[in-house]
Parts: sequence; structure tokens; C-alpha cells
Amino acid sequence: MRKLLILLASMSLLLPACGSDGDGGSTDATNATDGGSDHAELTVSGASSLTDAFGDIGTAFEGENPGVTVTFNFGPSDGLATQINDGAPVDVFASASPTWMDSVQDDGPGVSDRSDFAKNRLTIIVPKDNPAGIEDIGDVAEDGVKLVIATEGVPAGDYAREIFENAGISKAALANVVSNAEDVRAVVTSVASGEADAGVVYVTDVTADVTDQVTQIEIPDDINVIATYPIAVVNDAQETDLAKRFVDYVLGPGQQTLADYGFLPA
Amino acid sequence: MLLVGLPLLGLIFRTPWARIGEVLTSDTVLTALRLSLLVATSAAAISFVLGFPLAWMLVRSTFPGKTFVRALVVLPLVMPPVVAGVGLSAAFGRRGIVGSWLYDWFGIQLTFTTGAAVLAATFVSFPLAVLALEAGLRGLDERLEDAASTLGASRWYVMRRVTLPLMAPQIAAALVLSWARALGEFGATITFAGNLQGRTQTLPLAVFERLQTDQDAAFAISMLLIAIAFAVIIGLRGRFLR
Amino acid sequence: MTLSVDVAARRGGFEVRAAFEAEAGETVALLGPNGSGKSTLVLAIAGLLRPSEGTIALDGEVLDGEGGHVPPERRPIGVVFQDLLLFPHLSAVENVAFGLRARGIDAAEARARARAALERLGLDDRADARPRDLSGGEAQRVALARALIGEPALLLLDEPLSALDVGTRVEVRELAREQLRGFPGVRVVVTHDAVEASALADRLILLEHGRVTQVGSPEEIRTAPRSRYAADFVGVNAFQGRLDRLADGAGRLVGPGAEVVVPWPENFPGGEAIALLRPGDVTLSLEAPQGSARNVFEGPVTWIAIEGERARVRVASVPPLVAEITVGSVQRLGLREGVQVWASFKAMEVQVLPR
Repeated sequence: MRKLLILLASMSLLLPACGSDGDGGSTDATNATDGGSDHAELTVSGASSLTDAFGDIGTAFEGENPGVTVTFNFGPSDGLATQINDGAPVDVFASASPTWMDSVQDDGPGVSDRSDFAKNRLTIIVPKDNPAGIEDIGDVAEDGVKLVIATEGVPAGDYAREIFENAGISKAALANVVSNAEDVRAVVTSVASGEADAGVVYVTDVTADVTDQVTQIEIPDDINVIATYPIAVVNDAQETDLAKRFVDYVLGPGQQTLADYGFLPA
Repeated sequence: MLLVGLPLLGLIFRTPWARIGEVLTSDTVLTALRLSLLVATSAAAISFVLGFPLAWMLVRSTFPGKTFVRALVVLPLVMPPVVAGVGLSAAFGRRGIVGSWLYDWFGIQLTFTTGAAVLAATFVSFPLAVLALEAGLRGLDERLEDAASTLGASRWYVMRRVTLPLMAPQIAAALVLSWARALGEFGATITFAGNLQGRTQTLPLAVFERLQTDQDAAFAISMLLIAIAFAVIIGLRGRFLR
Repeated sequence: MTLSVDVAARRGGFEVRAAFEAEAGETVALLGPNGSGKSTLVLAIAGLLRPSEGTIALDGEVLDGEGGHVPPERRPIGVVFQDLLLFPHLSAVENVAFGLRARGIDAAEARARARAALERLGLDDRADARPRDLSGGEAQRVALARALIGEPALLLLDEPLSALDVGTRVEVRELAREQLRGFPGVRVVVTHDAVEASALADRLILLEHGRVTQVGSPEEIRTAPRSRYAADFVGVNAFQGRLDRLADGAGRLVGPGAEVVVPWPENFPGGEAIALLRPGDVTLSLEAPQGSARNVFEGPVTWIAIEGERARVRVASVPPLVAEITVGSVQRLGLREGVQVWASFKAMEVQVLPR
């Protein structure tokens, strides 16, 4: 009994990330079956903000390519890049900012067929009952506002900080940050649950299931940031041809899906 | 053995020993370390203070619903930490059953505070304290307490001079185990308390954050946690070989 | 100073009812087999168990009864428990000082008095030893000192010798007698051992199955034991059963698996009776006896106990019998364990009492 307790305690120290779903993302795993020449599995790492759109795109792609299974790995772009650079067997990488694609290109295995496939804008969200009475971006800098943004390094986090700079409220806004979320979807959760007074996320993150829990506060165009999303085939990919086909698909038929979800064209 | 040993070996292998000094003395890490020590110690202390009376009741008295209470106590141990975090939010978050009352009446919100980190750590380490203290109480010969009372000792005196001293090793085990578990807590903390340097970013959260951008640093901080874990294990071994 | 007990106490589905008194200056022994309720009474007197009915009073103060229950820590008692229960984490002197410190006496004075007490018992050099390092006899003395240091009105010894090996037992028995004699208050010893009881007590209270079956001095009980246990206590042969009248006026005691011919007691209404036979009245022989004894039984020798010139021999006949013969006879008959013998006695030697 006691030995079990020691083991439990030390294991809990050794595995601090235990309990969260991997590096802040969810793996949309469909059953991959082995064998058969038609069966291929494509691994795509995509920024968290692409979760819904890519989910649909993946299903459609599988429909057009029978025998192919697309496995997604969603998470913060910085974490995904680090994984790839560390040798994770990813075929396609779709990032929420050029920075992390550059990282894979320069510090990692390198990429090919790189293209920008979408753009996105950011917005402020507040819980439906708006406890802090936020009406515009300036209010975010008011005393006592509980603000949640993504961590530095995560594109959404960097963009948020850039926006505060543009608005000239950096100091006050950053002082209001009560938590640096591991990715942009976690920001959405914090606000939707009512724990945070406000958060900075992509407009596309206000999806159907969240829309009745939050209110969007528009960020004026002159201070807003337009995020550019690059996609590429990772060198050393296992399924290079298939990866290319997927990238083409995203740049082709996928564009409509992205538009439906609120993304801007590249 | 391999199961526990390999990750450790992997870490030792990948740790940037050359950089380790620089990483561990950086502002982020020192802040996280200080916070972790504060949170873990508070959690262990609270777990003991709340856990001792509970362990006493579970061992010494009968009351209706005892089996239920015992199951409840063990629950955090088998609950995935993130679920524990969600549960804590549901109870103590701004819209939580207790939290909403705190907010409406006192304007207090627990989420995103150091207190929340302590609460999360206490929640997961409390069962360990109770179990260790229970074991200690069970192993006690109650007749010694009877003998003490025939010698004129009040209940409180008996507790102080007989019960607690005889349980000293188990009390130490309870404190150390709950402290170690609290130190390593991640899922409940990040879900309920959030992640902010200096306020809620404990060492495990710092590891996690670093992991996204600077794996080497993550390894280095992990080694620190390992070192602490070993110190705990070695310290405990002495107790159990008694 | 008197201890008066008149209670019914329950523990684990078992109830004991007892009423007795003990005066200061005499040692009373509660004697009974295991399961007779002695420990329950000890717990009640010590205050560790609340009686379900009745009163316990000591020196005029009611400890249990109408006014409620006085907890153990407020009773002027000193208890030496069966397993001694010395505090393992404290040294001998700290153990002895415990009772004083618990009552608020400051550490230094308590220690000094404890040390003095240990000195008086010759344990000065063992004062700092832990209980686990003490010998059986030493531990016993420490436990005694610990109980006495608070100058209690009642000293309760629960099976004081049973945890000791035979050798230590004799030594400690003497010590216990001394200590008891010197103690001015009420003294109660609880034991299952007849020899222990005889050695230590002035008055015996026999407990069986939760009831008091006899009270008296060891002598009185020996002379007129009133139950099987009492008889065993004094080493008397006892038979129990239904007494039928025989044609010639004698009686036949029918017990489990055996019949004994006994005199018919005067004015006996019939029914259950107990028959007592002194071991000295049993004759042993290697061949079936020819005499007029009407009770003749056969069986192997199961043990022989020599006490000076006399020997007690137990024969596993049906019923079993204990005979007392000379050591010479043992040798002459070549008696050893397992030897088959005939045991006989005259009906007239048997004393019959209605149950």
C-alpha cells in the first residue's frame, strides 16, 4: 500500500503533463487499418483555430480518396512546430503564423510546396453576461478586468500582444492578463465558461456551439492584425504524394469550407 | 522497472547539462520554483489539518454513510486531474455552486488566483494524506490510549503525548506524500487556476509551457522536478524500512 | 475506603453481573476462567466501559451510577494492564512520570519523583531504557511504579503474572505481594490462575459465565467449593449430573458418559447435583481392585505432578480423575504417562451437594 503511494507520488512528479490532452490539442483520430495497398494514413498537424474547418475538409478529402485516412493533430502552432522539429512523423503542417513554418523550414526537416492558404482576423470575446462591461478594446485595459490570452509563442498570443501595442494599451492590458492559455481554444473555453471577463481569439473561433455563450467585440481594422496561415508538406514525410494532394485540396475545394467558417482568403 | 526507468533515462540523456545552470536560474524557473514550493507546502498543510480529523473518524467511529465518505475521499486519486479541474471550476468558479455565492456576496473570484492553485493541489493530494494517516491510526494500539487515560491524561493530552508521537512516522509520510503529489499537480491547476507566471505557474506548468518552444529548457526543469522526487523517495525509504 | 461494585456490564454481546465490595487493606481477587467477564469488570471499574446498569463507587464518590459516568482520567485509580501497555516511545522514567505530568505537575519535579520511585524498586540504572529493552520483570516493576505514582485510592492489577514465563513469574509474584501489602488503598487483582489468586489475595470472588458463583477466602473456598470451577480451583475432583435414587438408598449421579455411586444427601428433592471427591480418596492400582469400592474406573495416566512427598496423578478415565498418592507409590506402581491404571473410590467418600 505504502509502496503504491510512493509510486503514485513520484509518477505524478515525473509526468507533469499527465491529465491534459497532449500538447494542448485534440487528436481527431479515425481508425487506421493496416494492410491493403489502398490504405494510407495522412498525418496533418494544424493550428487549433483550424479544428472545425479542417475537420470538415478532412472528411471531404477522405470521401474523395477512398482508403485514405486523415489523422489530425491540433494544437498551438509553436508546439506543433517543436514536435515536428523534434522528429514527429507529420506529413502536412498548417500554421497560424509564418513564424512557425519558418521554424520548421530553417531549424527542422524543411518543407516543400509551401503556400499561404487563408487569413484570419482577431476579435475580442466576452461572456454573454459581460460581467466587466467591456464595450470596446480600450475597456480591456480597465482596472480589474480578467483577461485571458494565449501564451507568447502561440500565434494568437503574439497577435494579441501586437494588437495591444497597436492600441497603445500594452502595459495596462498585459497587467490584466490572469492566465496565459496553452492555445487559442483554451481562451475560448475560459471566456465561454464565464471565468474570464475577456479574451482575444480569432473570429473563426466563435463557432456555432460557442456563439450563444459569448459576445464578440470588434477590433478596429487599424489596430487589428491579419494572421496569415501557411501550409506545407513536411520534408521526410511518409506520404509525400498524398500530402501534396491534401495541400492542393486545401488550396482548392477547401477554400469554400474555410470561407464558410469565417476565414479570409489568402 | 523499465516502465519507470526509461523515461528517467531518456530525460537524463536529453537534458542540456551544459545549459542547465542557466535555465534553472532564469527568472521564470525561479519564480515557478518558489510558487511550487509555496503551493505544495500549503496544500500539504491543509491536507493534514483537514485529513487528520477525517482519518480519525474513518478509523474510530461508525456513522451512516461511512462507506460513501471513504469512496469520496479516494475519488480525487482516481479522477483524471483535468476532470478534477473541471469539477473545481464547477464548484468554485465564478458560476460555480459555491463560487457564484462568493462572487455575488463578496466579489471574490477564486479562478486564476494562487489560492486556486493551492485548492487544486490540495484536492488531489488530500486523499494521500488521509490514507497515510488512516494507516497510522489503524496501526495504533488503542489500549495505550486507555492506559494513558487511567493515568489521568485528558483526551487532548493523550492525543498530544501518546497518539501523535506514536504516529510520527505515518504523519511524516502523509505530509511528504501529499506534498510530492501537490508539487507534481498539473491538470487540475491549469484547468482551474490558469497559467500566469508568479501567480499560478507552478513548475509543471512551466515545463509544459517551455515544451512548446524550447524543449531543452523543458528537459532541464523536468530534471529539477525529478531531483526533488528522488529526494522525497529517499527520505521516505528511511521511514518505511523502520 | 471502600470500593463498591454492583453492576451489569456488556461487552461484545456478553453480559456480566457482579456485586461485591473491597476494603482498603485487603486484596480482593476476581478469579474466573477466560470469558467469565473479569476483563469486562476491570474495564468498568477503570471507567473504560460504561456499565449498562448499576453503580460503582470508590471512597464515597460515585464513579458510575445515578450521577453519570466519571471518565477514567478523573478516577483515583492506578491500573497495571495485562500487557503492561508501557508507552514504547518513552523511557522507563518518562513512563513513570507520565501520570504526574498528565495531571499538571511540572516536568522536572515529575521526573525527579519518577526516578525516586524507580530507585526504590532497584531500577535506577534502567531509568532511561526503552520498554522494549527491559526484561519481563523489570517492565512489570515499571508498570507498577507508573500506576502507583499518582497515589491512587484503588490499585487494579489485571492478570499481573500471565504474560511472564514461569521463572520470572515466581520472582514477580513475590514483588507483587510486597507491593500490594505496602499499598494502603483498595487492591483488586484479576486473574484466571488459582495459584496466583491464592498467593496474592485475602478474599476471592469467583466469576463464571458472567456471574459471581462464590465469594470467600482461599481457605473457605477450598473447604467448600460450590462449583466445578471452584472445585478445579482447589484441585478437587468434581462431577455434575442428575442424581437418581438407587434401590438400596444410595444415589447414582448420571453425568455425561459416566455414572458415579454416591450417598444420597438428606432431604434432597431430586434433580441436578454436584459431587466432590478429594484426590486423596482415590486409590490407584495396576489391576482391577477386588475390594468393596463401588466406583471403579480405568484409564491411562495423563500426567503426574510431584509436590514434595505427595504426587498428583491424573487419569483419563471416564470420568477423569485426579488421585493424590505418595511418591513411593508412584515408583512402586511404575507410573508414567500412558500407563494403564485402575482408579477406585468408595461411594461414601463422595460429598454431594445439590446444584
